[in-house]
Amino acid sequence: MNDAIKIRILQGDPIIHDVKTAVGLPLFRGLPTINDKPCLDGCNKCTEVCPTNAIKLNPVKIDMGMCVFCPECEAACPEKIIHFTNNFHTVTDSKEKLVVTKETQNVTPEIASKKIRKYFGKSLKLRQISAGGCNGCELELNALSNVNFDLGRYGIEFVASPRHADGVVVTGPITQNMAKALEIAYEAVPNPKIIILFGACAISGGIFQNSDKIERKFIEENKIDLFIPGCPPHPLTFMNGLLDWLDKN
Amino acid sequence: MKWIDVQNNQSFDIESIVYLRKDDFSNTVSELLQTGSRMIALTPIDKNIPQKIIAVLSDSASSTIHIVGGDFSDGKFEFESWANKFPQTNYFECELSENYSYLPVNHPWLRPVRKQSVILKNKPYQFFKLEGEEVHEVAVGPIHAGVIEPGHFRFQCHGELIYNLEIILGYQHRAVEKLFLNANQNQRIILAESIAGDTTIGHTFAHCSALESLAQTQISLRADVIRTIAAEIERVAMHLSGLGGLSNDIGFALPSASYGRLRTLAINSLAAICGSRFGRGLFAYGGVQFDFTDEIIKMVINNLKTVQNDVQKINEYLFSSVGALSRFEETGIINNELANSIGLVGLAARSSGIEDDIRINFPYSAYRYNPISMINLSTGDVFARARARAMEIDEAFRFVFEQIENLPQGKIKTEMGNLNANSGVISIVEGWRGEIVHIASTDNSGNLTQYKIKDPSFNNWYGLSLTMRNTAISDFPLCNKSFDLSYSGHDL
Repeated sequence: MNDAIKIRILQGDPIIHDVKTAVGLPLFRGLPTINDKPCLDGCNKCTEVCPTNAIKLNPVKIDMGMCVFCPECEAACPEKIIHFTNNFHTVTDSKEKLVVTKETQNVTPEIASKKIRKYFGKSLKLRQISAGGCNGCELELNALSNVNFDLGRYGIEFVASPRHADGVVVTGPITQNMAKALEIAYEAVPNPKIIILFGACAISGGIFQNSDKIERKFIEENKIDLFIPGCPPHPLTFMNGLLDWLDKN
Repeated sequence: MKWIDVQNNQSFDIESIVYLRKDDFSNTVSELLQTGSRMIALTPIDKNIPQKIIAVLSDSASSTIHIVGGDFSDGKFEFESWANKFPQTNYFECELSENYSYLPVNHPWLRPVRKQSVILKNKPYQFFKLEGEEVHEVAVGPIHAGVIEPGHFRFQCHGELIYNLEIILGYQHRAVEKLFLNANQNQRIILAESIAGDTTIGHTFAHCSALESLAQTQISLRADVIRTIAAEIERVAMHLSGLGGLSNDIGFALPSASYGRLRTLAINSLAAICGSRFGRGLFAYGGVQFDFTDEIIKMVINNLKTVQNDVQKINEYLFSSVGALSRFEETGIINNELANSIGLVGLAARSSGIEDDIRINFPYSAYRYNPISMINLSTGDVFARARARAMEIDEAFRFVFEQIENLPQGKIKTEMGNLNANSGVISIVEGWRGEIVHIASTDNSGNLTQYKIKDPSFNNWYGLSLTMRNTAISDFPLCNKSFDLSYSGHDL
């Protein structure tokens, strides 16, 4: 018993109390910013190094849905136009809003409809489905339940059965071999239900966008409620996105 | 000589491979397996020339890798299967058969590896069936109860005991190996990082080492040391996660919560180094992208000292608990003989008394001059695999602190040139699960013609399956967690 108490004391107070204002470590790559400086004539260093074609030029735009948040473009830009801040707030409710331009100040999802908030505002149960995820996203979703993040305090939890769930969280580019299982699991979730895409692979195929073994029909045919960019997204990105969306922050 | 010998990460001329005729090839591989070598790959060295294959075997005792070539140009793609005598080769033969339409004659159990329809010719897979009283079948997956990757498990049970477990995988198949061939430099690094997201550093380490050898690029001492420090932090983080999972699976909440907290500190140290909690973005061809500044060193040491101090007390608490020990001990045993015959690797192999650690047997990078001690246990049960994790964490800390203290000066990145033409390389790395193998080869203009990856999970899934025999089905989650295998690493 004494030992147990000693271990409990060691734990201290590890929880992140204020999720909203928490920022990442200095080198953490969160929300990208694009400053006002003009590009050098004919320079395309950033698009050249980008592994997922997330950057468009004239003017510079970064699609966070495709971005894997690697350090390449920031390092390659001779004018230091692109910079990744340690801001966790990158979640949106539409694919278009994932595109960061120099006008972008901050990114937040629109608050969910009254109906959604009525049904899910106090308790939201999610079923995660990995459809080709590399276990990076899965580990970060698991981390949400640990003592540091403790997602459960907001009434949001992951459940085992899709029949107990209010929606699905999809990770991975959706492989051919998982496409059917994903559809069956989604069908099993009772209405009303939501779809959350977690990570670059789920949103756009990410680094696997050119693979001939992925099958993205599910994404094209269903309405997506939340887009959570990152590779993998930080747990606090997920938390802030959901809290903003459900207007609980 | 009927085969060529190479070292870990040594670039070789692919013209130097000796190609033997079918029977000669079969016998030579048999001989090498007989003398204690273990198969690590069976593949064409050039994807476009499927009639010429190589069998790659590693010999831990002499730190050599044997490459035996087989030429099937003038006949059917058939060879006598080794699997009846050496079960370790059975899955490699299935993989070759699936990808390049070879037929291993008299193979005991030819089954799909990743692509469900190839070997079965579009017929559904037939699971083993058990019939009789008190017999029942349990089907689980591909989607499991937790937040994990997909795979299908089919248990044939007799009462509470599992008689046989079949594991069918392939749901995560993204054709990574194929993508490598057409990808540019930056894409390749991200691909390597995404083979298995929990082994980002392990796989990227193997990938970068392989390509640097092909380009004959020597990386600086400092970069070598930073790479190995990151690899050890990854090991610590994932072992903590494994211990947390094991505690959770026996319903022991306090250690589970504590390990979870410490894992956060460990992966945040990686985030302090390179911005990503999984070490993404750290590796670059020719070295690393981020240097160790005084500030970073301070933060990393601070975090890791807390982990080192706390984990000792929590380990003591967990491993002195009678309840935990009664669940861990003599559960899911895989004895030394069985482990050897099926070619178990990594942490699981070392828990069954096999002296196999790539960092020691095939030293690479900074492990060449800063040795690490091998952790070896003999009981082969869940307890051994849990205890080995705890011991490897201790050893990793010793290594990391020693390295940080004696960090060599110098630049962190060397420019990497073009890949040598007509060359091949075999790069083996000890990831936290075990042996990671990357094989790359180039054509006469230096473009990649083959990229083959073997995750330790490829060997060890079969180990888990055998472990479950005569074990209560309620112990499956615990045994599964004690192996903690990768689905995406297997499925690629």
